[in-house]
Amino acid sequence: MKVTVKLIGPFIYKAGFSEKVIDLEPGATVSKVILTLNLDSSRPHIVTRNGRAVAPTEQLEDGDRLVIAPIYSGG
Amino acid sequence: MYGWTGNILRIDLSHRIYKKESFDEKFALKWVGGRGFALKILWDELKPGIDPLGPENKLIIAVGPIAGIPAPNTGKTVVAAKSPLTGGYGDGNLGTRVTDQMRKAGYDVIIIEGKADNPTYLYIEDDKVEFLPASEIWGKGTYETQDWLYTRYGKGAGLLTIGQGGENLNLYAMIRSLEGRAGGRPGIGAVMGSKKLKAIVVKGSKPIPQADPEGMKKLGTEDLRKVQQIDRETGWSIQGTTGVLAWCNEVAALPVRNMRKTFHPEAWKIDGERLNAARVATYGCPNCTMRCGITILDHEGHKSELDYENIGMLGSNLEIFELDQVASLNYLCDDYGIDTISAGGTLAFYADAIDHGAIEGDFRFGDAEKAKELLRLAALRDGKLGNMLANGSLRMAREIGHGSEAYAMQVKGLEISAYNCKFIPGMALAYGTSPIGAHHKESWVITFEIKQTERGSYGPEKAAKVIELQRIRGGLFEFIVACRFPWIELGWDVKNYAIYFNKITGLNWTVEDFWKVADRIYSLMKFFWVREFPNWNRQMDYPPMVWFDPTNADKEGPIAGKILELDKYDRLLDYYYEQRGWDKRGIPTLKTAQELDLIEEATEVQKFTKLE
Ligand code: SF4
Repeated sequence: MKVTVKLIGPFIYKAGFSEKVIDLEPGATVSKVILTLNLDSSRPHIVTRNGRAVAPTEQLEDGDRLVIAPIYSGG
Repeated sequence: MYGWTGNILRIDLSHRIYKKESFDEKFALKWVGGRGFALKILWDELKPGIDPLGPENKLIIAVGPIAGIPAPNTGKTVVAAKSPLTGGYGDGNLGTRVTDQMRKAGYDVIIIEGKADNPTYLYIEDDKVEFLPASEIWGKGTYETQDWLYTRYGKGAGLLTIGQGGENLNLYAMIRSLEGRAGGRPGIGAVMGSKKLKAIVVKGSKPIPQADPEGMKKLGTEDLRKVQQIDRETGWSIQGTTGVLAWCNEVAALPVRNMRKTFHPEAWKIDGERLNAARVATYGCPNCTMRCGITILDHEGHKSELDYENIGMLGSNLEIFELDQVASLNYLCDDYGIDTISAGGTLAFYADAIDHGAIEGDFRFGDAEKAKELLRLAALRDGKLGNMLANGSLRMAREIGHGSEAYAMQVKGLEISAYNCKFIPGMALAYGTSPIGAHHKESWVITFEIKQTERGSYGPEKAAKVIELQRIRGGLFEFIVACRFPWIELGWDVKNYAIYFNKITGLNWTVEDFWKVADRIYSLMKFFWVREFPNWNRQMDYPPMVWFDPTNADKEGPIAGKILELDKYDRLLDYYYEQRGWDKRGIPTLKTAQELDLIEEATEVQKFTKLE
């Protein structure tokens, strides 16, 4: 299945891209994506799937948009 | 007494006199510094009902015990006065060399009273104060003013200046320092302008009194290095605060079109990634190793230092998606010395009001060139339109009518910063209860709310989180006076600040002691408002009504059809008031005043309204 991953802020420079479509096995979870991208999951972060926050164990579906962001405070 | 100089410098511009006064340990321990000192002095010394732009208002510059000491990120100073924009308590902080220079000159607080006959600037060097003519710099922007002063006093001098916005009493004029630092959103720069005070230069040469200066120097220097290391590992300062724009766009929280919309397909054009790629310089505050001032060239070729609020309020909220043009608007605000948030909010309101037929005009969302012209009119109070724009969105709405107050995006008269809370109740509460009017700096609950709670819920845990963050952000960091970013962005433990505080003061405080001071300050800030507005009611803590209007709900996207609900927001306010020990009107009760050692203040406020 295909999932669009959008990275925010510093994660862009860790993973080397800002947004791309990735191929995943059906039933892949949010943590699987973080693992695949080699992002440090121990750093506080927030993941949203189609605009809503999701748990690491949540399974993704074809066509999802996943946004992975560090915690921010704004200006 | 270690940690405080124990001195207040009182300057009377009307009579061109000054004197050094002292404060005792009791005052220091009760109010700690920065916002705490400023608030208590304004409460004690201002008569209620005074004209904020009259000579009776006082401009307070205050630092705290950790300010200026090399440690993570201690280069901030608080500026405060009765706000001409809101009529209530107003303050802000900014990164400036004044922080350590005023401590070295021997002061924790500078009080500026009265009004000069002619444009004046102050030169403060240790025990000496000079009142100098500012005729050569009056009418100039903040950049030229700073250059003029640097030429005379050197780059190491602490400078605070206003631009034409402050001179012309634009109600959201700020005080500026360094390349792009600004503070005092609720018109503190206009208060300075009303006193005909163009600039303050501070130089000091004395040591800052500390209980353990050697230990603090070692620890502070090590910790500055550690914070720098964490920043490098996490990469936070690559985009700094501007990274948040892309995220807000994804979760439908971006201000777009006077906050009518919550995301925009072109937002990427002005996001942190583009900004970092366009970077020509990086600036920051003193004593900081995670410098967040990303600087790019604007449309006219000026260096313009931007943060998230700037790109959100002058970019997406005006539907201007050309980065160099957003940078131009930001440069103009900085040079005129007006707040980018209120300027963006007011211009967006004007465009929205034209769209809705409430006023006639030729400004449209997306028109960067016209926006530049409007900023000039607002900063100079040029003509009828300039005067309206200079007064901020609430006054403008009241003047033009046609129900436009509902979409003047402000609370208590201060424009909402760049988080669109159309469907984020806890963040709306944070804006509603921010003690200077809508400002994110007091409490930023949005990620907690979206990550850890049901987004559309209104439970007591959201009120508790708002208060927890207000204690740290609007409390601790505003009274010890330091930048909150090492803690909030890099996870630098808040307990470190207790360690610094104790090393500097020789005391043995815990963070719980800080929370008590924070609660005291929040309750006194509320008393300040109530004394100015004796018919105080909970509606003063409401966000704008358009956020409750179902016809304003998003038609598509993650929050399509969703909107805040007023009865539930009221319940959330109740939770907040209960947890703070405030009554249903949002006023601290007598019992709370007693617990917070505010009995004298409660007696004073009872002259204006009865406390429960
Ligand atoms: S992180 Fe940014 S705002 Fe904070 S002290 Fe450093 S430069 Fe200033």
